[in-house]
Amino acid sequence: MKRLVTVCYLVALALALPGTAWAHAALMKTTPAFAQRLERSPAFVQLRFDQSVSALPNAITVYTDKGRVVSGPARPGADRRVVTAPLQALPRGVYTVRWRVVSADSHSVAGVFTFGVRHRAPPATEAFGAAGPTTAEHVVRWLYFLALALLAGGLGFRLLVARGPLPPQAERRFYRIVGVGAVGVIEVGILAFLLRAEDALQLPFTNFLYGDLSPLASARFGVAFVTMTLGFALVSALLFLAWLTERRVLLWPALLLALGFASGLSLSGHSAVDAGSSWLSELADWAHLAAASLWVGGLVQLAFVVWPLAPELRRSAFLRFSKLATALIVILLSAGIYLSVLRLPHLSDLWSEGYGQVLIVKLGLVSLALLWGAAHHFVVRPALEQGAPLFSGLPRSLIGESAVGMAILLAAAVLVESKPPAQPPAKPLNAAATKR
Amino acid sequence: MLPPAEFVHWMFATGFLLLGLCLLAHAIVGDGVWRRRAWRAYLWPGLAFAMGVLMWPVMVFFTNSTIHMLAHGSWAQVMMLAGASELGLVRGKLHNRYWHLTMPLAFAVSGATFLIHEQNSWLFARSAFLHHMIGWTVIVGALFPLVATFRPRSALWRSGLALTFVVLSVLLYCDRDTAPIFGHLSPLAGEQHR
Repeated sequence: MKRLVTVCYLVALALALPGTAWAHAALMKTTPAFAQRLERSPAFVQLRFDQSVSALPNAITVYTDKGRVVSGPARPGADRRVVTAPLQALPRGVYTVRWRVVSADSHSVAGVFTFGVRHRAPPATEAFGAAGPTTAEHVVRWLYFLALALLAGGLGFRLLVARGPLPPQAERRFYRIVGVGAVGVIEVGILAFLLRAEDALQLPFTNFLYGDLSPLASARFGVAFVTMTLGFALVSALLFLAWLTERRVLLWPALLLALGFASGLSLSGHSAVDAGSSWLSELADWAHLAAASLWVGGLVQLAFVVWPLAPELRRSAFLRFSKLATALIVILLSAGIYLSVLRLPHLSDLWSEGYGQVLIVKLGLVSLALLWGAAHHFVVRPALEQGAPLFSGLPRSLIGESAVGMAILLAAAVLVESKPPAQPPAKPLNAAATKR
Repeated sequence: MLPPAEFVHWMFATGFLLLGLCLLAHAIVGDGVWRRRAWRAYLWPGLAFAMGVLMWPVMVFFTNSTIHMLAHGSWAQVMMLAGASELGLVRGKLHNRYWHLTMPLAFAVSGATFLIHEQNSWLFARSAFLHHMIGWTVIVGALFPLVATFRPRSALWRSGLALTFVVLSVLLYCDRDTAPIFGHLSPLAGEQHR
């Protein structure tokens, strides 16, 4: 009892303290604005806060893309909410502003943003000092793909393969798996955004809690995060309503929205921003991702829902899924080959570049999955169509195939976070004509 | 273009007021009268769930600090969870009465998050005072749904839950960003700008 009282006392103390310990100012406006392209060198960088702040001389530091400091000591204005730092005359290029001010209660707040002089400004995630993706980001990206597969693949399986009523237990498990996917996509999405923000801000954890995320939210990656979070919150609501009202028709908009909002990854990744990207590369990337999600998520539903809990549906579900998987594999391979050719201009990039080496691992896993799927398609499926009894090892085989699918998603996660080799410079369009 | 924070607080205040009044009416007239129309049973849980969904845009658009974003995210999730659990119970999809505990859980998490995410002291400005006030109101108010889970027929605890929502809405309606509280505005807050 004494221990319980102590714990209650500590909890109350912890809740009471932050009010006096964590006061901080919020950034209201910057000059130049986030990611602004300027035609002339600005004379200063100015920050306006919602409360009075104290500024040390290094409160605002402006870096070139090579890390050279081009700003002078920061000064507070007559209005204590404004801090200004003078700038040297800046040549054409991109610049990173890192700021840190002390709120009047002695606690610091910080942030980062970029701007360009006669040059497009990079997003804040590519600010000078950002170290790039870490192993944690690879893992988080993989978890995101898995959650998306459970959600979109599960919905696709229910609507396209196991179309009729399911036994109550199987129905419950279907909703549990898809629900885990829906929650996972939202939670892991938030985590991914925060990891990327932490890398850009380069702050210790306690300072990061008060870091300004608005420049990141307005970057392409941030816009994708905002849109996808809202979209998947809506998908979760639809999924819940479908479960509550037992109206399967609500799963259709949930599936379409899930696949649609998954395009946020394609519209903010390599296929959208790297050299050579176009609407076609974005479409191919989305088709690749959607097909992989439907395939892996469908396998999970087949192995963990239909097989153990709906034995009377095993044969028909397997045969239908086999047909669907064939179409998905065709899409997956076509889009994958197109994207590989686009991102690796030379065959030798496959073994000489880090991106290519990861791609080789992924291709190896895909080959294994294809062999596995081919065995199901060309051996098991004809036998089942002729009325042969179900093989006892089939559920284990399905689990194995879905495990390989998940491993492919891991390789895909590392690829997404890796930088493809630089594209060779484009030849002038009228080079031939000039020669002539 | 984002609306000022207090506008958003006022919108949610309206939602909480409706929620509180529904619960109060239910507590006063009792189950028998309240459920004469089947849809009424879904009214307040549906409202709570919808408010949870509507909190997501607040989370993703107000990103001036990490902790602010996380606080709004946690409110969105616990409101959706509490509303969904009550809807599941009303519909008969959930049977265990302990699902009612998601409501006190939502209160406790929301209150704690309110206190943690407010970085200023009580008398810094009106919004800071209200955030502290709301945090403690909601934490203490968690007792009502907690006890009501085990004494579902007690009008006292159910009314307490309803009135907690009403008080919460009044506090949110009082919110204005940088405005004095009891005639005091911290010099650190700068000038009142709205």
